[in-house]
Amino acid sequence: MKAVQDLKNAVRSRSIHVCYVNVGSCNGCDIEILACLAPRYDIEQYGIYVHNNPREADILLITGGFSPQWEDKLKMVWDKIPEPKAAIAIGNCPISGCVFNREGTYLDPPVSKHIPISAEVPGCPPRPTEILAAVLSLAPVIFKDYERKDE
Amino acid sequence: MKKIVDVSLPIGPVHPVFKEPCRIKCVTNGEYVTSAELELGYVKKGIERIMVGRPWQEVMFLAERVCGICSVIHNYVCIEGMERINDIPVPDRAEYLRVVLNELDRIQSHLLANYSYCYTIEHETLAMYLLNLRETAMDALELITGARVTCSYIIPGGVRFDLTPEKENTLRGMLDHIDSELTRFVHMFKGGSMIALRSKDVGMFTREEAIESHSVGPTARASNLDNDCRLFHPIYKKLEFKSILLDDGDNYSRIMLRFLEIFQSTKLIRSCLAQMEPGIIRGGGIIGEGTSKWSGEAPRGELTYEISTDEFGRVKKISIRTPSIMNIEACVHYMLKGVDSAADVTSTYISSDPCIACNER
Repeated sequence: MKAVQDLKNAVRSRSIHVCYVNVGSCNGCDIEILACLAPRYDIEQYGIYVHNNPREADILLITGGFSPQWEDKLKMVWDKIPEPKAAIAIGNCPISGCVFNREGTYLDPPVSKHIPISAEVPGCPPRPTEILAAVLSLAPVIFKDYERKDE
Repeated sequence: MKKIVDVSLPIGPVHPVFKEPCRIKCVTNGEYVTSAELELGYVKKGIERIMVGRPWQEVMFLAERVCGICSVIHNYVCIEGMERINDIPVPDRAEYLRVVLNELDRIQSHLLANYSYCYTIEHETLAMYLLNLRETAMDALELITGARVTCSYIIPGGVRFDLTPEKENTLRGMLDHIDSELTRFVHMFKGGSMIALRSKDVGMFTREEAIESHSVGPTARASNLDNDCRLFHPIYKKLEFKSILLDDGDNYSRIMLRFLEIFQSTKLIRSCLAQMEPGIIRGGGIIGEGTSKWSGEAPRGELTYEISTDEFGRVKKISIRTPSIMNIEACVHYMLKGVDSAADVTSTYISSDPCIACNER
């Protein structure tokens, strides 16, 4: 079955669908993800497509430090994503809460308490190239030989 | 017999056209929207609560992180408000540099808003052109401040870095590039017959409705309601600022107004660069006890900070009023009413340039 697996690997490496969810960020990271779409960075030349639809996504980008409204909803979004899947935390907020993790806040960081996070991109906000590099370096680790991982 | 029933059409919180989470609940008759309602609260962070008890050195950075798209104006208004407490003088050159930065921020925010609209009506070519042009504005921001989004450039009594003659030349080149490219894109937008079909007479918003709903910024100015805060700002008065008004109040005029404001912003930056004289950029000053209220024109409309501090300059009480709260309510209650199809709901919503992160803080 190696030939089939090789074919799957080849296809998967050029077809990474991304969904992004804002769970309480200031927009700064969201617009940097949007900037990745721009022809200058051209995310689609690497075979990454931003659809923002959990049901066809492979990678979930999470921005923001988890506000209480998302308690059940983020889990629902995560469950809708088909296997194989991975989540990347974009920016300082989902990692530590950044400036919002102070007395009086409503946020509940880190996001890894709620869903499994595979990679983290620190920065406030990180540059589009860093986000791109994170997705590109995580994707082969998760998707390569996925069917043979159990062996 | 064909039967038409009223259905409720929920959109969001995770939706392909939404940059930020919110939920619009439309009551529709077929696809015709009879009424709509908005549900917020997905990104509430409690910034004002965090700010209380902290000195300006921390509040400044928190204010900037109220909103990532219009971070410069939050910084600008917060600091100008604090300067009013103790009458801290600002050098002339710093005043002009603040305007340069603010207008650059407005250019990138308007380009992002128009990109979102073009993307929502599925005109991806124009959308990508606009997003690419936005990178030029982001480069200009990075050139002056060293950061793309959260610059923290404006501080009490001045600004952080000077604009050297070499950087000024580069900036002029960037402005020329934005002007020449955008003229082409505006021509595309005006001439596109499919764009006109999707935009003209969709999401009507009359002047009376604009007054009634207290809407601000480009959303109100596209309905011929002039409430630009830059008209009352001392430095903009020196630059002889006049606001742009359009009459129609549909999606097309809201987008068109943003294009026209980008041209106006580049013109303002050029006149700033012409009027600016060499000198100091940072005077310094201490913030003491007092209360102040100050407004500025954000890319989306009027932004107000009301701050009171104690004798060490720590914030005792702060309240922020952001422009989007009025605009989103106006959009949902007036523009969405009578929209013909579900596809126009999202495009009308995006045309009012909502910013949920500002709204909820």
